[in-house]
Amino acid sequence: MADIIIRNLTKKYGSETALKNVSLEIESGEFMVLLGPSGCGKTTLLRCLAGLETPDQGEIIIGDKVVFSSEEKIMNSPGERKLGMVFQSYALWPHMTVRDNIKFGLDVLKTPKNISNETLDSVLKSLGMKEFEDRYPSELSGGQQQRVALARLLATKPPVFLMDEPLSNLDARLRMDMRVELKKFQSESEATTVYVTHDQTEAMTMSTRVVVMKSGEIQQVASPGNLYRQPSNTFVADFIGMPRINLINLRKEQQDSSFFVNSDVKIDVGWVPISNEIVLGAHPEDLVVSKKKISSSEKYSVTAVLPNGPETIIQLTRGKTPVIARVAHDSIYTVGESVYVNYTVDSLNVYDAKNGRIEAPVEN
Amino acid sequence: MSNLTSQKKWFDSAIRRLLLNPVNIALAILLMVLAYLVLWPFFQLVIETLTWGEGDRRLSRDAVPGEFTWFHWLQATASPISEKMLYSPLLNTLITGVISTVLALSAGGVLAWCVVRSNMPGKAWLQPVLTLPYIIPSFAIALAWETVFRSPKVGGQPGLYESILGVAPPEWLSYGTVPISITLAIHYFPFAYLLVAGALATIDSQMEESALISGAGKLTILRKITFPVVAPAFVAAFILTFGKTIGQFALPFLLGAPVQFHTVATMVYANLALGLDSLAFVLAVILIVISLISIWLSNRFIKKKSSRFETIGGKGFRSREVNLGQWRWPVFTVVALFAFVVGILPLILLAIQSIMLIDGFYGLENLTWHFWTGKSNPDIAFGEPGVFHNNNIIGATWNTLKLASLSAVIASIIGLIIAYIVVRRADNPLANALDQIAFIPFLFPTIAFGAMYLTLFAEPVGPIPALYGTFTLLVLISVVSRLPYSVKTGVTAVTQIGKELEEAAEVAGASWGMRFRRIVMPLASSGLTSGMMVSFVGVMRELSLIILLITPSTRVLMTAGFGYAEEGLTQLSNALVLIVAVLTILGELILWWIGKGRMTRLREKL
Repeated sequence: MADIIIRNLTKKYGSETALKNVSLEIESGEFMVLLGPSGCGKTTLLRCLAGLETPDQGEIIIGDKVVFSSEEKIMNSPGERKLGMVFQSYALWPHMTVRDNIKFGLDVLKTPKNISNETLDSVLKSLGMKEFEDRYPSELSGGQQQRVALARLLATKPPVFLMDEPLSNLDARLRMDMRVELKKFQSESEATTVYVTHDQTEAMTMSTRVVVMKSGEIQQVASPGNLYRQPSNTFVADFIGMPRINLINLRKEQQDSSFFVNSDVKIDVGWVPISNEIVLGAHPEDLVVSKKKISSSEKYSVTAVLPNGPETIIQLTRGKTPVIARVAHDSIYTVGESVYVNYTVDSLNVYDAKNGRIEAPVEN
Repeated sequence: MSNLTSQKKWFDSAIRRLLLNPVNIALAILLMVLAYLVLWPFFQLVIETLTWGEGDRRLSRDAVPGEFTWFHWLQATASPISEKMLYSPLLNTLITGVISTVLALSAGGVLAWCVVRSNMPGKAWLQPVLTLPYIIPSFAIALAWETVFRSPKVGGQPGLYESILGVAPPEWLSYGTVPISITLAIHYFPFAYLLVAGALATIDSQMEESALISGAGKLTILRKITFPVVAPAFVAAFILTFGKTIGQFALPFLLGAPVQFHTVATMVYANLALGLDSLAFVLAVILIVISLISIWLSNRFIKKKSSRFETIGGKGFRSREVNLGQWRWPVFTVVALFAFVVGILPLILLAIQSIMLIDGFYGLENLTWHFWTGKSNPDIAFGEPGVFHNNNIIGATWNTLKLASLSAVIASIIGLIIAYIVVRRADNPLANALDQIAFIPFLFPTIAFGAMYLTLFAEPVGPIPALYGTFTLLVLISVVSRLPYSVKTGVTAVTQIGKELEEAAEVAGASWGMRFRRIVMPLASSGLTSGMMVSFVGVMRELSLIILLITPSTRVLMTAGFGYAEEGLTQLSNALVLIVAVLTILGELILWWIGKGRMTRLREKL
């Protein structure tokens, strides 16, 4: 219901720069996830959007209203920005009942009593919390507390939702259920959502687009699919994917060749990159493992076998080069066994070893 | 050019935002008010000692009122009377201070170890009894001591000691260094006990266990592991306790004045009574300096800022206990006996004595309720009616309750606001300054603090009227003297309220006032109430702080009791002190009850 435009946002804490010239456009109704390791600036960015932190420079526009601008000296308070927020700790007020917690925001907006009651009832009902309305937060389970935080957000129907790792305090199973539920409420309310997490599964499963951040800078903005298939640099490649992507340092075998080598392996990337020194990115499932030698495949030895439900992860080495491969759960390998590996040429990503940026074949 | 105007605009709006922020406004106001109420009185006191006063004309021909002079300092330090005025009281102060602190710390240390680290039985009810001597007014213990060891040599009726043994106690046991040191130690050992118990509770029992495994005996462990680890806290406790003892006024006065034994604190009072105001102020400054030095030393020993001082009501300690084996019951017996003698016996003695018609004469026929319920009788106690018919006492009771409750409420709320600013504006140097200033009253010996207010509010200054003799002044000084404690309680309460709780309300659009009222206040309320109760009890038993500021119309129970003791009406003074003791114990019980009944849901989520 409102788009968000962030322009050249910079935020410093003393000499530490938490955000470096960050620009981002979030479309109305989008579910945008800010993802990154701790200390990357994702929470700072969210708090700047909320108005809980004052950036040093830049501009933030929510809907058609400039809520922050260092040029025009505008700094709207959080209350003026028409947004709702779910905190990592939920920030439920422990001295208020569930109902009063949700009602607080409506009170601030001076909602007439009958409308306020109606809204409360419908929100409580839709979240299945009606029977708990007179309880205090500490009398609820983690999942129920989560729902109250969500109800508090939904009650005032803000056009923008901000969420700061809202699921990180739940156990793994509940987290799965809540993901589905959150997504449902978000799409029903059509609110533009900015969601901070360090959990890539959460990012991948819930978002329409993901922003990967590192040291206060945006590394990549992409849909979950693109993010996985084409990480734009080695940092993102290394960060996304469980188990991790294989990153192998290689050099061009000879001028104008598509073959790359190191002391142990030789891999055909299928085209001729400009760089001579590259880092090859190959997801574990891009390695085709077989017991017999096929065409150009090379021989690796199995160093570890880690069955994991529907798949099995095996660790392989050739010389000093270790790689990880993902194979079907019914395949049987033993440690020390020799196997043959081929790389799926189409799925490989090539990064310039000097700056870590992706290099794509020039299309004619 | 446009850049310049826009910069000015930015500057203006930034200033406006800064100025209109309610937290900043509160910060500025509090800084100014506290500077006036805490820092300025000290300067005023020092200035007073360095200028000629009106009354000095009779002391020196050179006196020009209002002019600068070293006269008072020279008079105190290098004149024929300095021996009597300064050096001998100073020596007495240091001697009684050191002896009582050593005693208090030894008793407190041993008891703390027994309660915290051993498996001595009966801890649950011994602990509150052991803190009793610190809860009741200090001069209750002095009065109880007098009841037993009073010597007829200084006049009056014989004490219990003489009545039983038939011979008068030696004078050194009745008055002077020995009784003052012992009674001070009895009053302050719970303070030392709490400090040491706090340190002991932080010991990781694994340290001791590993020594146990390597084959060390229990005593060796105590000597080589436990003691060295708590040693810094011990030293700090020593200095803090010492700092407290030197500011004591009523207790050394009752047990010293009859034989012309003075400490610096009693000398301040005596000099003011003689009209030697400037000399009294010099002594007050000296007292403050000693206190500052001792606190400074103790801070050097305690690195952690948070443990700058402790208040009664420590936490529940749970660590691995040392098995006393066959010594369990003997140790218990000794501790229980000790607790009875120092905690309960004094109160019993006071109670018995308050119903004796003729003081010091022990027999059933001598018992009377006159001092409690009797009407005025010219033959008894100069016609002073009993407690329940005595308008003086009833007025004093009313004043006491009014003073204690008003001060407690005001101090707690201001303390909470200061604490809020200190915690939420931790990066603001002004907030830090506010924290420091609010702590300063802790550094002033209470009688010196009273002397400061005496000089500051004797005459009207600008819009501030001469508050001397008013009830307002008593409230003012009580509030300011409680601030170090209430700010600390407040800081604990505010720190526990997650910043997110407020931010959630901020995002919902609630103003600062609404957030403080609906989020901060309710959540801090349990801590606030117990802080209020601590202040209530503290103000109620306070004497040294206000003794210099009291006038007949503003008398409270403690000063009335002190007055009766001075006049030799022991039964009445005992009765009054007993009332204060019972009220403070009741207060502590309520406090304990609040702590126990604190809503569990708050504890979990805070």
